[in-house]
Amino acid sequence: MSVAEENTNGRMAMLQTINLRKTFGDVVALESLNISVKPGETLCLLGANGAGKTTTINLFLGFLEPTSGEALVNGRNVAMAPVETKRDIAYIPEQVALYPSLSGLENLKYFAALAGHDKYSDTDLYSFVERAGLSKEQADRSVSGYSKGMRQKIGVATALAKQAKAFLLDEPLSGLDPSAANEFARLADELRASGAAILMATHDIFRATELASRIGIMKAGQLVEELDPKTVHSKEIEAIYLNHMRDDHAAPAKGEAA
Amino acid sequence: MIKAIIWKELLQYRRDGRILAVLLITLALGFAAAFNGWSMVETQQRERQAAVTSDRTTWDNQGKKNPHSAAHFSRYAFQPTSSLSVFDPGLKDYMGSAIWLEAHYRDPATLRAVEDAVEIQRFARLTPAWILQVFAPLLAILLAFAGIAAERERGTLRQIMSSGVPPRQLFVGKAIAALCIIALLAPSVIAAVALAANTHDEVGLPGTGLRLTGIVIAYVLYIGAFTFAAIGISARVAKSKTALVVLVGFWAASVVFVPRLATDVGSALSPAPAAADFQARMSADASGAFWGGSEEAQARRAAVEAEVLEQYGVDKIEDLPINYDGYLLQESEEFANGVFDRYYDELWGTYETQSDIVRLFSVISPTLALGNISSALAGSDLYAHRHFADRAELFRRDFVKLLNEEMIQKGGQDGYGYMADNDFWQTNPDFTYRPPSLGAVMSNIWIDILVLLAWAIAALQLAFRGVRFSFKQEAMA
Repeated sequence: MSVAEENTNGRMAMLQTINLRKTFGDVVALESLNISVKPGETLCLLGANGAGKTTTINLFLGFLEPTSGEALVNGRNVAMAPVETKRDIAYIPEQVALYPSLSGLENLKYFAALAGHDKYSDTDLYSFVERAGLSKEQADRSVSGYSKGMRQKIGVATALAKQAKAFLLDEPLSGLDPSAANEFARLADELRASGAAILMATHDIFRATELASRIGIMKAGQLVEELDPKTVHSKEIEAIYLNHMRDDHAAPAKGEAA
Repeated sequence: MIKAIIWKELLQYRRDGRILAVLLITLALGFAAAFNGWSMVETQQRERQAAVTSDRTTWDNQGKKNPHSAAHFSRYAFQPTSSLSVFDPGLKDYMGSAIWLEAHYRDPATLRAVEDAVEIQRFARLTPAWILQVFAPLLAILLAFAGIAAERERGTLRQIMSSGVPPRQLFVGKAIAALCIIALLAPSVIAAVALAANTHDEVGLPGTGLRLTGIVIAYVLYIGAFTFAAIGISARVAKSKTALVVLVGFWAASVVFVPRLATDVGSALSPAPAAADFQARMSADASGAFWGGSEEAQARRAAVEAEVLEQYGVDKIEDLPINYDGYLLQESEEFANGVFDRYYDELWGTYETQSDIVRLFSVISPTLALGNISSALAGSDLYAHRHFADRAELFRRDFVKLLNEEMIQKGGQDGYGYMADNDFWQTNPDFTYRPPSLGAVMSNIWIDILVLLAWAIAALQLAFRGVRFSFKQEAMA
């Protein structure tokens, strides 16, 4: 049985790190990180800037090579199979970047095709857009007039079109108005409920407690706490997190990175 | 994946009014240039045909005349115009297309070309070749300068990377899309070729099909080099505006400034003689040294006299069975020919040195390498002109000899009083010209071909490495 397989509830981890370490010169960005996210789970990583959240996501995306350890997607080592593992992943950053001269639908068609899904009809594409919460009319408009929330929805539609099994969400709620943030949170929960494994980096404790199956608190490249919102009250989670942050400010981390 | 990238790029281009405008303007210029080239070639061919006919008629009907007088009355060698000159007239318009085939002399029209030779390359003309050499790279830059930099600025590069697109595929997709747009200029080139095919190829350039293929390949390499370089620079710099500034600077240097600088340096380091001075020196050495009153000239003529008397075993000129004046004229021609060869070898050598110096600059300007290849294959470069001028000179020598022989054999003691008539003139041959083989042309431009190829490969490397670099940079961001 692979090291990537977790048997606690009979499901293989979709996203997993094993003793993952990443340094940039003398700066330690990640230190012996061990996390796993199974299908139908959302792991929210909380932490200050430089805690290692985005570095973790970049390692799953294959943008960075680990100094040691492994990042696994659907059981495959990202460093060994960077193209194959990307097929299982959808990445939604804080700012979903789109081409302003193209419509939402054309952006979706392009990014789906880049991920190898170039056979979709317009009807298929519209269905992804509608599932993500945009109307056909909105999808046909140039994205130059899109709000941030609408861009996020195209990002979600792209993830749906990719038929991704794992979602990497990097601060997806930052800058969204409450209504858009609510809608995005609903979408994320729907994706999880449909069997997606979600790893979300965020500063938003409220959303993390609302969405997460588990919450990981990162500090100086290490996972210092892993909490279950079902068993730990949200106020307690907040207190633990703030306590770590206070420590963080009192004693600067060994190294800082993205 | 590449197909998707091409589709997206073309969609963006289609919606960018600036690109559409530049494309349409360039296309319009291309069509105008094609028509202009065709019109010029048609005019040249028509005028040449009329001149050839007129020259022959005049010669045939000059009436009773001493052959040597006829040799001064003389004829012309008219350079035929190749059909490919519609596309690239090269130096043809400036080198002169008629050479006067006079006795004792190598035509000064050739000398006029000498005066201008390499400097004239700097002039811009509305020809399909010029449009492609100048505007196609600019279009390539406009299409590709934002290729990677704008993706990075917009944040879409990260999205692309997260989709698993390898750097090479992104480059290939963008390069193909840009080249597809540039290929829309093809109708103007096709128009030029169609118009060229419609002209009478009076030169009969050997391997016209292969020459045309070579021209197409050379321009594809040239435009490809600019496109690849634009993508490469776009990938290396932080901002697309910076890429535009760098690339337009490179374009201006490569297409405008370096070619001018190169010809100036070539002329300065290997100066061509002033026409009047060249002419005077050559005339003094060719005619003065034989016909003049110097001891040397007198001795030369005395030696000819002694030799011919001995050859025919007589003591006096009056006893010769041939006309001595005609004999002496031919001897002077033989003497002058050696002088002409010496002077013109030196002159052509000067031009070749200038061309070699200019060629050195092609290391920093692919336009120079392309220009050499294009005009050489179109049969309108310096080498083509020299080939024609040399063949015309050989014909002149044979023709003058023919006239002198007429006087030698039939002049008797009348000498300059002997008169030939139209029956003789009408038997005299016309100048016919066979241009150099394709192999001979290629042997002159192989360095230019290598330089252009090196430019394309270097630009390709710049692009490949640049895009890979931009992926790494983005991953670290």
